[in-house]
Order: sequence, then structure tokens, then C-alpha cells
Amino acid sequence: MMLDVQELSLSLGGHRILHQVSFQAKAGECCVIMGANGAGKSTLLKVLAGEYPHYTGSVLLGGNPLRELTTAEQARQRAVLSQRIQLHLPFTVSELVKMGRYVYGEKETVDKAIVDYAMHTLQVYELRDRAWTTLSGGQQQRVHMARVLAQLLEAPQLDGGVDGKILLLDEPVTGMDIRHQQLALQLAAELAEHGVLVVAVLHDFHLAAAWADRIFMLHKGSIYAAGTTEVVLTAANIRHCFDIDVQVLEHPACDHPIIMTLNHTHLSKKITENGSNYFSA
Amino acid sequence: MKHAGAVGLLALLLIMVVLVATGTGAMHIPPLQVLAILLQKAGITLPVSYDSSTAAVLLVIRLPRVVLAVLIGAGLSMAGAALQGLFRNPMADPGLIGISSGASVGAVLIIVFQASLPLWLNTGWVHYYAMNIAAFCGAFIAAWLIIRIAHTSNGAIVSMMLLGGIALNALCMSFTWLMAYVSTNEQMRSIIFWTMGSLGGATWQTVLAVTPFIVLPLLLLPRLAGALDVFALGENEAKHTGVNVSALKMKLLLLSTMVVAASVAVAGVIGFVGLVIPHIVRQFTGPSYRLLFPCAALSGAILLTVADLFSRTIAAPAELPVGIITAMLGAPFFIWLILKEKRSLLL
Repeated sequence: MMLDVQELSLSLGGHRILHQVSFQAKAGECCVIMGANGAGKSTLLKVLAGEYPHYTGSVLLGGNPLRELTTAEQARQRAVLSQRIQLHLPFTVSELVKMGRYVYGEKETVDKAIVDYAMHTLQVYELRDRAWTTLSGGQQQRVHMARVLAQLLEAPQLDGGVDGKILLLDEPVTGMDIRHQQLALQLAAELAEHGVLVVAVLHDFHLAAAWADRIFMLHKGSIYAAGTTEVVLTAANIRHCFDIDVQVLEHPACDHPIIMTLNHTHLSKKITENGSNYFSA
Repeated sequence: MKHAGAVGLLALLLIMVVLVATGTGAMHIPPLQVLAILLQKAGITLPVSYDSSTAAVLLVIRLPRVVLAVLIGAGLSMAGAALQGLFRNPMADPGLIGISSGASVGAVLIIVFQASLPLWLNTGWVHYYAMNIAAFCGAFIAAWLIIRIAHTSNGAIVSMMLLGGIALNALCMSFTWLMAYVSTNEQMRSIIFWTMGSLGGATWQTVLAVTPFIVLPLLLLPRLAGALDVFALGENEAKHTGVNVSALKMKLLLLSTMVVAASVAVAGVIGFVGLVIPHIVRQFTGPSYRLLFPCAALSGAILLTVADLFSRTIAAPAELPVGIITAMLGAPFFIWLILKEKRSLLL
């Protein structure tokens, strides 16, 4: 097992954020973590990224306890694309992508080939001399994805030594246009074909349904449903975790279920109820 | 290529500035003679004639002072750049955030209680090392406090950093003045002169006393350049990329306070070099520390050598403390930086 999480719990500032989360994932899988705001998705990903070492339970990365791996060992085995990156310095695109190579030390020629390859793959090679601060939000996201790709690769090709590595993506396509969303997730899927375990937090049901091998649906810090798209993305599960009514459709042109939100009477009724309660109280 | 070119150009400029500065003063020595005297020391004879008294003035009086300016200028400017990386903010400066005044409290304690220290601590280089160590302790405590005050995992909150700096400066100054109050007249004069920042006391002994504490950081800080670049992405991103963040922060803190403390111990508080130089250099080199560190060190050395040249010639034979000159240049620059920050906030 690439990733083995057993009875993981975590509290932050006295609040229990994750409770008894257990799952396993193997090399080459595309896993998606879903759930409503505050369900603990990002926190779960951050635990896997090594940001909260005070968790209880066990997290094994390639058979080794996460807590016992050094920062450098973790970085060689696992790359992370975070949600919001604040950077106010005008680094150029190629300088930023090259930062992904930090943990491998200075090997100029290999590094340059990998950095160029990563920039080509994310279609930011033309921007390589542009200052980061002048890019649009979606372009910045692609540059970071190229940086993370450069960290995973050991040679300038997708099958270059990535087998058995882990890629964590926290809402990776936020801010990208629809073509680049497809491109980014396609890339993650190809990395998975070459043996990378990809774990992503996604909000969009369609993207998740089209892309995931397995989905973990979190509710109040625990896994409520886990399994293939068909098993997890049911109207009942979505209603329980997100509190909205949906219909799950099948379409002959599409090999995955389509999630359609129904008219929002349920939700708007709820808002009115809450409102009147508030005013009468 | 751009790398080697910029560094080479600045190094050449520094050599020229050093030759001119060493030759200028009450007794003028042409640059060619300066070169000949220096190379003679290194065992190379140039066909240029000079008096032996000229050589003595140069080697005993001028050269230690210029070498001290080069060391302290390079050190302060690199320490400023390192602190800006540590705080992830371009307004960090050892003087503004209270590290220099922390160092001065340590050093003033040694000046005032000199008489009550054991004799072996008061002789020759041991005295300077004691000053260095006391200043280092003061600087390190101040740096640690400012980090506790301003630091978050998303970098320093700039207002907290600067306000904390005001508070620390006020606290340290009150200590310094308290010491001045209980000191003798003679000690008082040395405290005051030394609070203004001056390279006037330079001898080969002071140069030797600070050399290890400045040269070591000058050699070690550039090795952190790659990690510092990644650190700009944020602490968590740096961790994900493989940077040992807590070790990096501790190294930056130790090395930069070491430089600040050593320069405060021998030359007093020379402000704004660490703020102004990295900022100007960054405009040309870009934000990457690989190029910023060497260029900032060389530019800082050039600036302080020139500023010190002014300080000892502008009102000759009297001497203006060099700290006054750097503050007169640096404070307006700092105001300009604040205005720039304000504009970017309004956009």
C-alpha cells in the first residue's frame, strides 16, 4: 500500500476536525476527497502533507510512518499543490518551476531538462521569463502545477521514475479555464498511469465523477462514504453530506454519472425558515 | 553569465573604491602608490616609488579602517537581506526591528562595567571578544523577541514587526541611557560617540576581533540561497518542497545576529545599510538570493567605504560619525518605501 491511514484523528485549537479516518490507497490510483465546507477535506490533505504532525492514529507513506520521515525524505516521495500561495516577489516563471527541484540538490543539466519539460507540459513555457506577479490567477496556478510536476519527476518524461510517488492536490483547478482544468486533471491521470498515487480535493461533481477511480466523501470529519464513483455519488449520500437535492443521471455519451442539482426550493425554504426563526427569536 | 558579470563588475568597483579611499585623507597617496604598497606586502614589486612613511600611514592608519568598512558594509547588507528573507518582508532591517539596539545594550554593559570585570577580560583582543559576545547575546534576545511578536506561518505581519521594533528600540535605548546615566564622564563620551556609529576606532586589532564573526556568515549565508528562495513561497510550501524550515530559520537568525552584533561591538549602530542596499540591488538582480547575496555584500561594502570616506574628509580634520551619514541617506529612503507600500495598498 502506498498510503495507509488508520484511525486518524486531529484536533485544532480544541476543535475536533478529523475523527477516526481510515483508508488505504495504492500506487496508480486517482482518489478524490469530497465534502461540504468545513468537512475536513483540506485538513486531511494537510495531515498527509506533513503539516500537522500532532495527529493521533497512524499514517504510513510507502510503509513508513509519516512522522518518522524527514522533510527531505517526504519531499522526494510526495509533492503537494496547496490551495492558496501568497507570493509578492517577482520571481520569473522558470525560477519558480526550478524551485521544485530543491530537494535533489544542484544538478544543472538534468534540472533544466526537467524544468523545461514541466513548463511545456503545463503550457507555461512561453511565459518562462515573465515575472510571477504579472500573471493571471489561472496562469499562476499552472506555474505551481509545473513546479510540483518538476518535484515529482526524476527525468524529463512522465514515466521517469515517478512510480510509487504521491501527489496531493488541494483544489488544483480553481481559477483555471475549462480547457486547462481538463489539461491539469488529464496530466494527473497520466501520472497515475505511470504509478503515481494522486489524492485530490475537488468541489466539482462532474470533474470528480469523470476523473476519480475512488471517492472519499467526508462528513463532519469522518468518512461517510468511500468507493467508486457509482457507489459514492448517489443522491442519498449527496443529500446527507451537502444538504442539497440532486438527481444522478446516466447518459449514453458519458461513461460516468451526471449529477444534476434540482430546483432549489428545498434550500430556499430552509433559508426562509432560518431567517424567520432568527427574526422571531 | 549574467551572474558572473554582475558580481565581477561590482568586485572591480569595490577594488577601485578601496584604492581611492585608502589614498585619501590628510596625506594624499595616489592610487598607483596604494596599489604598489599593498602588492609589496603580498610579495609583488611594482616599479613605483614611495616613501616608507607613506607606507606606514597607509598600512597602520588607513588600511584597517577601510578593511573594517568593507567587512561591516558587506556584513550588514547581507544580514539585512537575510532578515528580509526570514521575515518574508522587504522592510526588515536590523536597526528598525531592534536587533542593533539589543546588541548595543550588551556592548554598553561591557563598557560601563569594564572596571568591575576581571583583568584578563579587559586586555587586548579578549576585551573585543567579550564585547562581541555580550553584543551577540543582546542582539539574539532582541531578534527572538521580535520573531515572537511579529511572526506567523504566513510570514511576519509588517505592522507588528515595525511596532515591535519601535517598542524594542525604546526599551533598549532606555537601558543604554540608564547605563550612560550611571557612567563616568569618559564612559559617557564613548557611549554617545558609539551610539552614533563610527569606524573611527579602527585598528588591526578591531579588524581581527570582528573578522571571524563577519566572514563566517558571509561564507555561510550564500549557501542558504536556494532554501531562502523556496521559503518565499511560504513555510508550508517550503516544507513540502523539502526545506527543513525550522533549521533554516535558526541558521538565518544566528548568522545575521552574529554579523549585526560584531559590527555594533566595534563600530556602534550604523543604520539603514541593511535596508537600503538589498532593496536597490533587488531592483537589478531580481528576487533570487543566489544573485542577491553576493551583489548585496559587494554593494554594501562599496557604500560603507564611500560613506566613511565622506565622514572623515567632509569636515576634516574633524570627523563626522558615519552612522549620521547612513541615517541621513537611509531614513528618506525608508519613507519612500512606506509611500510605495501605501500606494500598493490603495490599488
